[in-house]
Amino acid sequence: MAGSVVRYLAFVGVGFQSVLRYRASFFVSVATTATTTAVVVFLWRAVYQHPSHPAPGGFTLPTITTYLLVAQLLIRLHDNRVDSEFANDIMTGNIAVALARPARYPLMRFCLAVPVIVADLLLVALPVLALFAWLFPLRWPGAADLALFAVAAACSVVLAFAVNLITGMHAIVTTNTWGVTLLKTTVVGLFSGGLVPTDAMPAPLAHAAALLPFRSMIDTPVRLFLGRYDTTADALRLLAHQALWTAGTVLLCALLWRRLVVRIGVLRG
Amino acid sequence: MNRAATAPATLHGLLYYAGLTWFLCRVSLRRLVTYRADFLLGAIGFVVRTGVQCLLIGIVFNWVPTLDGWTRDEVLFLFGFALLPRGLDRLFTDWLWFVAGRLVYTGEFDRYLVRPLRPLYSIVAERFLWPDGAAELIVGISLVGYAGHRLDVPLWSAGTLVVAPLCVLCGALIYASVKLLCASLAFWVLISHPTMHAANQVAEFAGFPVGLYPAPFQWVLTWVLPFAFTATVPVAYLLSGEPGQLVWLPVVTAGAVAVALAAWTRGLAAYRSTGN
Repeated sequence: MAGSVVRYLAFVGVGFQSVLRYRASFFVSVATTATTTAVVVFLWRAVYQHPSHPAPGGFTLPTITTYLLVAQLLIRLHDNRVDSEFANDIMTGNIAVALARPARYPLMRFCLAVPVIVADLLLVALPVLALFAWLFPLRWPGAADLALFAVAAACSVVLAFAVNLITGMHAIVTTNTWGVTLLKTTVVGLFSGGLVPTDAMPAPLAHAAALLPFRSMIDTPVRLFLGRYDTTADALRLLAHQALWTAGTVLLCALLWRRLVVRIGVLRG
Repeated sequence: MNRAATAPATLHGLLYYAGLTWFLCRVSLRRLVTYRADFLLGAIGFVVRTGVQCLLIGIVFNWVPTLDGWTRDEVLFLFGFALLPRGLDRLFTDWLWFVAGRLVYTGEFDRYLVRPLRPLYSIVAERFLWPDGAAELIVGISLVGYAGHRLDVPLWSAGTLVVAPLCVLCGALIYASVKLLCASLAFWVLISHPTMHAANQVAEFAGFPVGLYPAPFQWVLTWVLPFAFTATVPVAYLLSGEPGQLVWLPVVTAGAVAVALAAWTRGLAAYRSTGN
């Protein structure tokens, strides 16, 4: 047991080294994240500043800004490129080498991704947060909400990893990877609340979002960050709902992997 | 090398390049037929993405009648129009991404220098008629047609039929110039892909009226990375008939092209292949 933990820690080390090697890319990442966030934030701020004061979903100007900002930062942390890297492993045949290693491939990918996610948090998400906090008044959470958010955000990272890995598995069956990845990003972006807060969605869309797992990726953590729940039991229910979806998706990911791994054909070999 | 054939300034050279372009476009169409499923998956991904963005516009206008003085149909028109120069540019110059990302870094760029063609032509010719750009154009034209019809924009008047395609062409040249400038940086820094990605991301602002953004942003989008000229400025003219900033479009386009070509020429001179 201890031996296998050490084995996977080695992958975390490799991931950390790759982070150090590509330091400069984080500066650019700050610029791109700030840009995509700004487009959504300015669009919705214009709505909330309209003279007719529509206040969709009961947000105020600071809370909607905070919602969209934290949502976009979570999307950044979820974008761990594991789908395209996995697809690339399949297309180049590198998967053969990875499968020969005495480690589970999905777990290895997760260990490689962890240092990247931590670096994204420290070097991209926090600077962008500071930038927007300087530009706009935001709504900051209390200690309890921050703790709840931290748990939910960590859980959402695992869920997003599983969703990305499932997306990457299509490479076993087809060769167009960016089309499917684009499709996933779009569907997740819409139903998670990243583009339109779930409370401001039209009823049919909100119903669909409630039935899908993607809401747990963005809306649940951000809702806890903003304290948009009634009682403590309510907050815990949100967390339990998210944990259930995460466990289910990880399970689905494992099942699919077992079914599909035998179908991988490396260079027709 | 046959100079007469490669100097586009002469009539003979121009005809040579035109014939070659026609030939390479036909090659691309053949590739499209061969990899149909790939194209379909990419097109579906793109169409769904555009659909979701239109849905976002629809939801926003459920709450407010106008944004910065623009109605729902006007914003849809703008959003659709913004896809046209982007699609036209993608149709012809997307191989520049690989200059920025890989070709200079690995030294593969050498291959383009030994061909009896202008290196820039030889580079972009790798991806003439890239089908993903066609998907953008088709969706953009549909949106412009739908919203233009609802807004009673005189789409078929002689004025529109002359001005609109010219605006799309200038917009595509602006996109291509920004890409070329970013790609040229690779000659000095080896990999400029992240810079290009960042500049490309800024273009996302162009899909909405620039009036939504604070003044410093508007200034940057108008005069530094002039994406405002690819959508907001021409659309404001098409909707209102007032030229406004449109008179600057040829100047801005010419300026962008000149800066990008200068950077490319200087970068090419600074290019030293890989060491071994």
